[in-house]
Amino acid sequence: MDDEAETKQQKTARKEAEQLEGAQTRKQGWRLMREAVGAHPHLMILGILAGLVWAIARVSVPLLAGAAIDHGIAKGRTGLTLTLTAAIVAVGAVQAIGTGLRRYAAFGLAWRVETDIRMKLVAHLQRLHFAFHDQAQTGQLMAYANTDIQQINNVVLLVPLTIASTIQMIAVAVILLLRSPGLALFALGLLPLLNFSAARFNHRMYPVGMKLQQELSDVSGVVEESVTGVRVVKGFGVERMQRARLSSEADSVYDRSMDQARLRANFMPLIDLLPTLGLVGILWYGGHQVLQHHLTVGDIVSANLFVLMLIWPLRMIGMLVGQLPRSAAAAGRINSILATDPAIDDAPNAHALPDGPGAVRFERVTFGYGRGPAVLDGLDLVIEGGEAVALVGATASGKTTVARLLPRFYDVHAGHVRIDGADVRGVRLNEVRRSVGLVFEDTFLFSDSVRNNIAFADPEAPTEAVVRAAKLAGADEFVRDLPEGYDTIIGEHGYSLSGGQRQRIAIARAVLADPRILILDDATSSVDPTKEHEIRAALAEVMQGRTTIIIAHRPATIALADRVVLIDEGKVVADGTHERLLATSPRYREVLARAAVETQAGVVDDEELLDLPGVGD
Amino acid sequence: MGWWGDNVPEETLSRDEASRVVRRLFRMLRPQRARIVVATFVLMAQAAVLLAGPLLVRHGIDAGLPNAKHGGDAGALDLAVVIYLVLALVGLVLGRFAIILVARIGEGFLKELRNRLFGHMMSLSLDYFETEKTGKIVARMTSDIDAMQELVSQGLVLFVQNAFVFVGAVVIVLVISWQLALGILVIVPPVYFGSRWFRRVSNKAYLEVRDRISTNLSTLQESLEGVRVVQAFGREDAFTRKFNRTNEDQYHANMHTVRISSKYFPVIEYAGVAGTAVIIGYGGWLTTRGVVTVGTVAAFVLWLNNLFEPINQLSQLYNTVQSSAAALAKIFGVLDTRPTVRQRQGAFDLPKSGAVDVEHVTFAYGPNEPVLHDVSLHIGDGERLALVGPTGAGKSTLAKLIARFYDPVDGSVRVGGVDLRDVEFVSLRRRVIVVPQEGFLFAGSLRDNVRVGRPEATDADVEEALRVLGLLERFAAFPEGLETEVRERGSRLSAGERQLVSLARAALADPSVLILDEATSNLDPGTEHAVERALEHLMHGRTVVVVAHRLSTAARADRIGVVFDGRLAELGTHDELVARDAHYAELYRAWSTHQATPEVA
Repeated sequence: MDDEAETKQQKTARKEAEQLEGAQTRKQGWRLMREAVGAHPHLMILGILAGLVWAIARVSVPLLAGAAIDHGIAKGRTGLTLTLTAAIVAVGAVQAIGTGLRRYAAFGLAWRVETDIRMKLVAHLQRLHFAFHDQAQTGQLMAYANTDIQQINNVVLLVPLTIASTIQMIAVAVILLLRSPGLALFALGLLPLLNFSAARFNHRMYPVGMKLQQELSDVSGVVEESVTGVRVVKGFGVERMQRARLSSEADSVYDRSMDQARLRANFMPLIDLLPTLGLVGILWYGGHQVLQHHLTVGDIVSANLFVLMLIWPLRMIGMLVGQLPRSAAAAGRINSILATDPAIDDAPNAHALPDGPGAVRFERVTFGYGRGPAVLDGLDLVIEGGEAVALVGATASGKTTVARLLPRFYDVHAGHVRIDGADVRGVRLNEVRRSVGLVFEDTFLFSDSVRNNIAFADPEAPTEAVVRAAKLAGADEFVRDLPEGYDTIIGEHGYSLSGGQRQRIAIARAVLADPRILILDDATSSVDPTKEHEIRAALAEVMQGRTTIIIAHRPATIALADRVVLIDEGKVVADGTHERLLATSPRYREVLARAAVETQAGVVDDEELLDLPGVGD
Repeated sequence: MGWWGDNVPEETLSRDEASRVVRRLFRMLRPQRARIVVATFVLMAQAAVLLAGPLLVRHGIDAGLPNAKHGGDAGALDLAVVIYLVLALVGLVLGRFAIILVARIGEGFLKELRNRLFGHMMSLSLDYFETEKTGKIVARMTSDIDAMQELVSQGLVLFVQNAFVFVGAVVIVLVISWQLALGILVIVPPVYFGSRWFRRVSNKAYLEVRDRISTNLSTLQESLEGVRVVQAFGREDAFTRKFNRTNEDQYHANMHTVRISSKYFPVIEYAGVAGTAVIIGYGGWLTTRGVVTVGTVAAFVLWLNNLFEPINQLSQLYNTVQSSAAALAKIFGVLDTRPTVRQRQGAFDLPKSGAVDVEHVTFAYGPNEPVLHDVSLHIGDGERLALVGPTGAGKSTLAKLIARFYDPVDGSVRVGGVDLRDVEFVSLRRRVIVVPQEGFLFAGSLRDNVRVGRPEATDADVEEALRVLGLLERFAAFPEGLETEVRERGSRLSAGERQLVSLARAALADPSVLILDEATSNLDPGTEHAVERALEHLMHGRTVVVVAHRLSTAARADRIGVVFDGRLAELGTHDELVARDAHYAELYRAWSTHQATPEVA
């Protein structure tokens, strides 16, 4: 009982905390938007001024029309009628210029703000530490930079437009009240309801729309899995089962769409009815006032025009009201990223990396990812300048982590990582990164030419340097065979290379950077063993006079190293030459044997009978 | 608001194509005929009610208010007001009814279309899925139908409604006063041509925007996916500059559309004001000549709105309609694709025997060069045959033909002595099962995934299949046992576990012929052994054709077929082939020299 009461209390407390946090996020979102808009005051001012001119001109038209009816048409004074008509034409021109300018300013401001915030966000993301990117999902970050920023755009756009609409609304109300409070009441009395209904409609539509989107994405889920898994579907003849699943998803889409339609049916005709009721009210009240000679036919006509002209501004205010919290929340989410400081950054008194041969020292290093268990547990490791060391260990032994700590992708929890005697935390980050060249296990290449990918560290590098790096990495030969040689665009939107070819480009990229310390993290794992020996010969040359750390399983690759370090459970457990460890360490033999089983495949070919287009998940 | 850009059609249909699409659409809508007729009448009534409003204002002013002819009539005024009020309420009811009714028609149509299109896709043969890109196939069912969803959910009502209102307004102003009507119709040409110009120019501008957005997003995506490389090489600033360029490009493309619409909207607004001016000026002059009344002038001011709004809305909808038509044409294209592998009339069940005969089979993908030339092969019931050979030699194709994913161009494939082309699909898919190299999982529980092997199987059958392969305990030990959702976070299955599910699926189907495609990628050591064991159980007592990637696997088969250059180059046991010292012996030598490490453990 007590427990339950407590959990209930906790629940309320949590809910309150969440609400508070939501409010806090929105508040920060507001600040972000204010600052972004504040950077372009001229557009905001232009938007408001143009809106003011537009509103005044627009309000004048019904007044001129009313005057023309009463004083010109009713009294048969054709000259006056034509003069007033000419005035309408002239005022219309002012209105038109006003509307052009205010749209230009409002949209211009919105796009400018969107562009600025996106730039700020992306520049910040580029600087955020690895640990942040390990946890963040690319899709989520993309959504921030895309849909969330659009939400900000929507609201920034509406603000100057709505200010002009509000001015216009007030002007109309004042004019009508001055002429006849009763007429004002009948003409405009119900219009706030329109504003209210539009806001309410937007508010109610949003969750239904989200649900519909969810159902649509479920449909696409079934379709995608049926297409990527078509061989299983056809192989087992379960087309009917998939059809039934799709059919039930299609039913849900229908149901949610009908929910939306019912909401529209509840609101839209009502929103259309309200101004019509204004017109009816004007005819009735105004008509009787005309009969009693308090008002004129011209008053009725101009009141009609006023009502028609206010329909869209009122709807727009309703939209803005519905949009505001969504935009603030979106801006808040973006702000929370901008408020995250890069955890890995230059220390206040960061110094240059001292000259040296690239000596590496790990001193009692303890490290774990996030709040997870320690991956390295008091690891000690000394690598002399110019030495080549192979790190060997089972999966998750911590060897890759060693490679990641050296260029300071993460900071150690305890202990020191030193390059040429200097703790990497005290050195300017840029220099640490330039001194360590790393070839990652999962090779990432950019959608760009082969040349630019290799010259990534130094885009100014001369062609000879690029070709030399490619030759050293054993890439030159196949690159020359590509359709456009070094100018061939590769990557997601270009020519697709095999895993081994990608790894060789990545090695060339690291070679070109000419680092003091080169780390090859399983860098030749996808290279065909028959070609690997060519690269090995080239690598031996690259390694000349450079500290090299090799993470590998294949004995032939390990043989490149002067010394082998066996890492197990975050510690160095054996150290010596390959032959010595083979002879003395049962654990070493075990790790190598398992790795051999794992990499046995792929000799004959890689033709796929049942390859799944785009691999399903 | 002014988001014209959401629906710019990439390609537009020719007039011919468009009319074909529309005719076919109407044929598909035929079952809904009754509803469509009712909806049309409702929408017409709604337009009539809307247009009657100004008529009542006119009557109220002319008959009710004092003028040169009479001193006013409160009764006539009140009558006009009451009728107006009643009509407004009728309009409300009609409006509600119309929205629901049109939604039922439109959404019902989309539901039907989704089911039909997907059903048809599922009936298509494997060649369709291998030649078309996955993304494109999925797009037919998603973005193309979604493009129509927007038209159906909002556009359709607006489109018909506005068309009726516009036509009705033109008729009514001509009937009430053709002179004044001609006066305001002067305004129509500039609006019409302005809209046309706008559509043309802005479509181009929005396509440009779409391009820039997609470039910008891919730069962004790349900068996020490659952030580690960027930081490793200290290239953050350079990359930020690169993004700045694509980001500014997107901005400029957007500003181009802003400049276009900042020119167009003033014209439209000005036309509206000019229309009012014409009514007042010209109408006033006509009034003094006694051609029209003051009430008519007032009513025309209101009708003007009914003329302009529809043009405005229709030109906005134009893009939506165009992209829907383009989407529909693509969908019809899929519906017109015929499956290449079909069940013939009078097809019968496959007998239980697992003997496979490939007789003089020649096969080519589409109009291309043949990939198999006159291949003949007999596999005895219960025999294990491994197919090896270099990439592209045709061994996978041969396996696909045995499963009848394709029909041979020449020759025949028989299972249990029966030509597969005479066999009923359901029985074929029970007797001949393919286990793909990657264990593919569907959304759902482990149990659902195994049940794919035989959808009508009971829970006990599923468990039995797992037990036979020695897997029941393993999966029952999952946090939620066999009910574990395989696609949910946290319960991600390893590649090896997926493979196990895939094997259990095959076991449940209980086939006579099993076609295995050996995985090229590595399994985690933890499941490697379990997979081996499960496979051994699964193969027991069945005919097995394995497309082997590891020669160690091939060596364990009863016989080995070496496929080389589209022909069956060698066939025999491992020892025979090694002794023969040809292709296989060569492959085997190359492979064993790379096994540099001694076999430990």
